[in-house]
Amino acid sequence: MKRDAIFATLLGLACLATWEVAVRVGHTSPLVLPAPSVVVRSLWQGLSSGYLWPHIAHTLTEVVLGLLLGASMGFAGGVALGESARLRGMLMPYVVISQVVPKLALAPLFIVWFGFGTLPTVVMTALICFFPLLENTATCVQQVDANKLELFRMLRASPWQTLWRLKLPAGLPNIMAGVRVAAVLAWVGAVVGEFIGASRGLGALIIAAQGSMDTPLMFAVLTVITVCGLAFYKACEGLERYLLNPSSDFSTRTP
Amino acid sequence: MLTMPFLQLEALHFAYPDRGEVVRDVCLQLAPGEIHCLIGRSGCGKTTVLKLAAGLLTPQQGQVQLKGCTVQQPTSDMGFVFQSPTLLHWLSVLDNVLLPHSLHGLVTADQRAHGEQLLAQMGLAALRDDKPQQLSGGQQSRVAIARALITRPAVLFMDEPFAALDAITRDELQRDFLALCHQHGTAVLFVTHDMAEAVYLADQVSLMHAGRIHAPLHIDLPRPRQTAMRYTPVFNALCEQLRHAMDATLS
Repeated sequence: MKRDAIFATLLGLACLATWEVAVRVGHTSPLVLPAPSVVVRSLWQGLSSGYLWPHIAHTLTEVVLGLLLGASMGFAGGVALGESARLRGMLMPYVVISQVVPKLALAPLFIVWFGFGTLPTVVMTALICFFPLLENTATCVQQVDANKLELFRMLRASPWQTLWRLKLPAGLPNIMAGVRVAAVLAWVGAVVGEFIGASRGLGALIIAAQGSMDTPLMFAVLTVITVCGLAFYKACEGLERYLLNPSSDFSTRTP
Repeated sequence: MLTMPFLQLEALHFAYPDRGEVVRDVCLQLAPGEIHCLIGRSGCGKTTVLKLAAGLLTPQQGQVQLKGCTVQQPTSDMGFVFQSPTLLHWLSVLDNVLLPHSLHGLVTADQRAHGEQLLAQMGLAALRDDKPQQLSGGQQSRVAIARALITRPAVLFMDEPFAALDAITRDELQRDFLALCHQHGTAVLFVTHDMAEAVYLADQVSLMHAGRIHAPLHIDLPRPRQTAMRYTPVFNALCEQLRHAMDATLS
């Protein structure tokens, strides 16, 4: 495992070195493809001057709000659809239709409805984060080992206890997989939302950098987005490890 | 040991929508503390009878009575051990054993001590904080039995709980299981397809074939049963008698 990580790092460094050498030897214009060293310089300038931080904070806020809103609604919807076959039969076709519509194409409509600013971007992010949680939660709530369901019936557990003590813990790995996907997609939603109608945030900054032909800044912002997306993914993995390895079931502790 | 029946299956009929009738006119009686084995081929309806008796299924005809009351759903007097251990992998061994209590409120110190005592009797005291996936198949079966006994049920339903275990582990588990049932005075309806297991464990063995139960065979072996009994002529004769009864039923 450690050896794989070393090889992965070496591969990344080799790609960056190749990129640097190719740009220098080929005398490529920094307007088209800046060398990694130029991108790092631009990134450092943006961070040290404090220029990037407000944009990072703005996009981060939209991502967190959109992820919380979309993921919590997706989770609640998934539980409801997983628990009720009737609700699933009635609502699932509409949920699928809502996801088949290209959500990025809805961004101009959101601006009409919600105006410019944070709200349309948060709504866009929430809409993108909604489906992975809904689908994974609904699937895991339905697909519980039949013997374990019978065990809970033998123990005279209520539907709520069966959901809380069996279905959700058993489906936690799948639910967390949905959270991981949603956490990555949230950055896509926020940045694309900012492309369309925002004056602040990393997406807006990319559009502004494009207007001023500042390609190194565009790469620098892309680097920031990538690092933030990776940090979110890793945070979700950490949360998953914590949730899947509780030291004990708290409800069984002696009063 | 054989006194008034306190679990009675009266003329049960049951059909699954997609399989037709799998239980036909099944009658069975179980006395307090009695171990009754149901033996038969796979698919003959043994597990369905067990689930009907436990209230997990509702018969289309007939009824199940426990202590004079009609069983319509599982009660606190019942325990069930499934073919697979059905342990919750996110809970520790002790928390799995305490699950029947923790589902219905906070676990008291007495209940916790009882859980630890059962684990000790099952030889699992040192593994109480482990997760089920860290245990062997035999150890998982022991945890499942301890979980079923934690509420001190009057009757235990067991669906081939030792079928997937190796012969040595199975022998040890059967011995420990008998000791625990004897100590708690628990009546047991035990499904198996292993004749030697049925003779070793049971007071009565009923043959089941094509959804029907045939006349029970009384196992006249003294209790407590010792492993050495398996190698006695009496034990072999009972196994032989059971085999002949099975052959006669099938023919």
